[in-house]
Amino acid sequence: MKGLFKSKPRTPVDLVRQTRELLIYADRSPDSRESKREDKMVELGKLIRELKLVLYGNSESEPVAEACAQLTQEFFKENTLRLLITCLPKLNLEARKDATQVVANLQRQQVHSRLIASDYLEKNIDLMDTLISGYENTDMALHYGAMLRECIRHQTVARYVLESEHMKKFFDYIQLPNFDIAADAAATFKELLTRHKSTVAEFLSKNYDWFFAEYNSKLLESTNYITRRQAIKLLGDILLDRSNSAVMTRYVSSRDNLRILMNLLRESSKSIQIEAFHVFKLFAANQNKPPDIASILVANKSKLLRLFSDFKTDKEDEQFEADKAQVVREIAALEPRDSS
Amino acid sequence: MANEEEANLQYPLDSNSYRILDEIGSGVSAIVYKAECLPVNSTLVAIKAIDLDQSRADFDNVRREAKTMSLLSHPNILRAHCSFTVDRRLWVVMPFMSAGSLQSIITSSFPDGLSEPCIAIVLKETLNALSYLHDQGHLHRDIKAGNILIDSNGSVKLADFGVSASIFESNSSHFWSCSSSMMLTDVAGTPYWMAPEVIHSHTGYSFKADIWSFGITALELAHGRPPLSHLPPSKSLIMKITKRFRFSDYEKNKKEKHKKFSKSFMDMVKLCLDQDPSKRPTAEKLLKHSFFKSCRSSEFLVRNVLNGLPSVEARFKESKLRRLASMNKSSETEEDDDEGCSVGQNIKQRRISGWNFNEDGFELDPVFPTETEGEDSVVKQVRFGGESIIKDREDEAGRDSGESNLSSPAGVVGETQVSGDTSEGHGGGGYVDSEVMIGSLMVLKRSLDDQRQQVMDLIGLLHGEEGGGGGEVSREEQLVQVIERMKMESENEKRRNFELEMEMEFLKIQISGASSGEPSSSGGAD
Repeated sequence: MKGLFKSKPRTPVDLVRQTRELLIYADRSPDSRESKREDKMVELGKLIRELKLVLYGNSESEPVAEACAQLTQEFFKENTLRLLITCLPKLNLEARKDATQVVANLQRQQVHSRLIASDYLEKNIDLMDTLISGYENTDMALHYGAMLRECIRHQTVARYVLESEHMKKFFDYIQLPNFDIAADAAATFKELLTRHKSTVAEFLSKNYDWFFAEYNSKLLESTNYITRRQAIKLLGDILLDRSNSAVMTRYVSSRDNLRILMNLLRESSKSIQIEAFHVFKLFAANQNKPPDIASILVANKSKLLRLFSDFKTDKEDEQFEADKAQVVREIAALEPRDSS
Repeated sequence: MANEEEANLQYPLDSNSYRILDEIGSGVSAIVYKAECLPVNSTLVAIKAIDLDQSRADFDNVRREAKTMSLLSHPNILRAHCSFTVDRRLWVVMPFMSAGSLQSIITSSFPDGLSEPCIAIVLKETLNALSYLHDQGHLHRDIKAGNILIDSNGSVKLADFGVSASIFESNSSHFWSCSSSMMLTDVAGTPYWMAPEVIHSHTGYSFKADIWSFGITALELAHGRPPLSHLPPSKSLIMKITKRFRFSDYEKNKKEKHKKFSKSFMDMVKLCLDQDPSKRPTAEKLLKHSFFKSCRSSEFLVRNVLNGLPSVEARFKESKLRRLASMNKSSETEEDDDEGCSVGQNIKQRRISGWNFNEDGFELDPVFPTETEGEDSVVKQVRFGGESIIKDREDEAGRDSGESNLSSPAGVVGETQVSGDTSEGHGGGGYVDSEVMIGSLMVLKRSLDDQRQQVMDLIGLLHGEEGGGGGEVSREEQLVQVIERMKMESENEKRRNFELEMEMEFLKIQISGASSGEPSSSGGAD
């Protein structure tokens, strides 16, 4: 067997074709003789490794653009990606890792200055459903998760995921007990909510109510330290992004949101406190504070001022100090309303 | 026992399923426990509990490291069973390697190093792991005896991939290495083992840096300690970074007796310690070196190394005591040295341009160049930038809190001044990230200010006492207390100082490392 393949160097197109044939075999022949199957799976693993070498090069040689383009074109000409994704659980660990790297790389390959992976995924968008549900399978989660994150580099794919029912599941995935998987899901969640600005802004405006209700109750008020820390950081990133200013204005007008943020400010974790401050400052700096927001701030004025008086980052941070000074000025200037 | 079949067992993801038996390692932000996993037949495990609130690391790095760990699968690599969070701590559950790290084995039972056949076994197994890692596109970045673990059956595993950093760590010189690993910065490492190009950072980091560290590890196993380890770690690193080497230290070292080693061993180490990274062999190629031919079995390690070894727990306790003792001692000697410097008569100082591997002595020797050597200029720039800033600050701070509180930077600056190298001090600092440096220095300044405040308070207190006419005896007692307290504070300050310096160095390395990019194959993995 070894001799057979050593004798003739295979072109990138050959490699993809042979991989595809073996994937088709792996996909639908559970009852063929065990020994023969094993051989073929070994061969499949080798082929995937070779695809990876073409795309990434090795310690001696850089990848060749022409070969990468040929490989990519052949790969997406037929349904190789679908086969690879569905057969992934049947591969061994090394082959799974190679396959994940191949899929990741293919998302960035241009053929005639087009990302043909994007075109393919648009027509096969249901593959995202498979990848996302990978978070429910301990063995597949990290592989599917890594592929998923590469696929959502394409805006249309990210939009599909954001608008799908899957979005709700992420609130649970990022709290899975298995740290590797939860952290991977959190990374994907963050990517979805920060990568494509206009898509994110549109999504958040359309889905404001359920999204932030979930975000507050499941993440910011989670009992899990890591969840709270990651969530408050991401919330800051989202709200402070210029493209989300409409969402931000809406967020800082809610009394419930302010209450949650004030609780986070009181946390004993320095990291959470600092991140919470970056969101809290938006409430204080808002020049059109609704009366109920203003009255909460007035009621807690002395407590807040005391908190901020010895509120420091570990490292000197001019921006932070400036922000803090402004927040302190805003709060100090607040007067109780006559009516209240 | 870390049997391969165990890999498939499901370890529970809640802390109640584990019973902690003993502490077997500790660092600034992590503790390693020996524990048993109750639902899995009370199997012994090692749990590394990392304080996540202490590390300001961003979670992308933590995630990447955790993922790397859980996707590696090789008989010579310690793989985590699972990891989960327990409040603010990340628990990484790993197989318990009952013989602990080679560093702790050497410290406790083989102070003069292991025998060559034993070294060959350990190094070969380590190379297997390294070859696999490199093939997967990963760098280890912290190869050293402290990260090579042995199980009771003699199997050897490489540990420490960021999240699982420095398991069973118990070397006094590494008290900070845990914290730096916990920060999960892109470049980590421990000074004695770090390759020149890693320290200088302008050429970037490659697989070959691991090979250098591997060579240093070989020396460590052979001599019982890494080269330059007779110096305190702060000095070793600063010295290696600045390429300044005190001749007297070197002479001291030379006098030590050295063992005889085989030609093939020395040749193998020499290949690893080539100044030019591109000339160092790959891990795969090294495996074919004659030194690893006719390597003995792990059974040999059990008989010759593990027999009669104290337990990991016992060694950890012992090393903890030793660490306390040596911390006091090393700070004293450092102070002595500084005094010597300020007197500054007999101390020969030479700048070195690199390290040559001395085959006869089987040690690393510094190279002393002439002043005008061109290749040194890059290094000079690094140093000048750093020093001129430190110096300014130090002058200012020195007035307030006294020289002795600033032993490490004062030491360096002191040396510069004594050496009378007046051409220094106006460098542009081209390679120093001034923002980072200034940030760190501001922190340092603030802590000095705090300290100054405390000293002022104490002086005020004493004045008050005087006015009130307190008894002679109680005054003396108070003074003793004050001195004690100030001593402790200055100790703390020293430590923080050193940590800050380390952090600065790592940040610098990281910044230049980040710009040179990651190896392509690992880049696509996420």
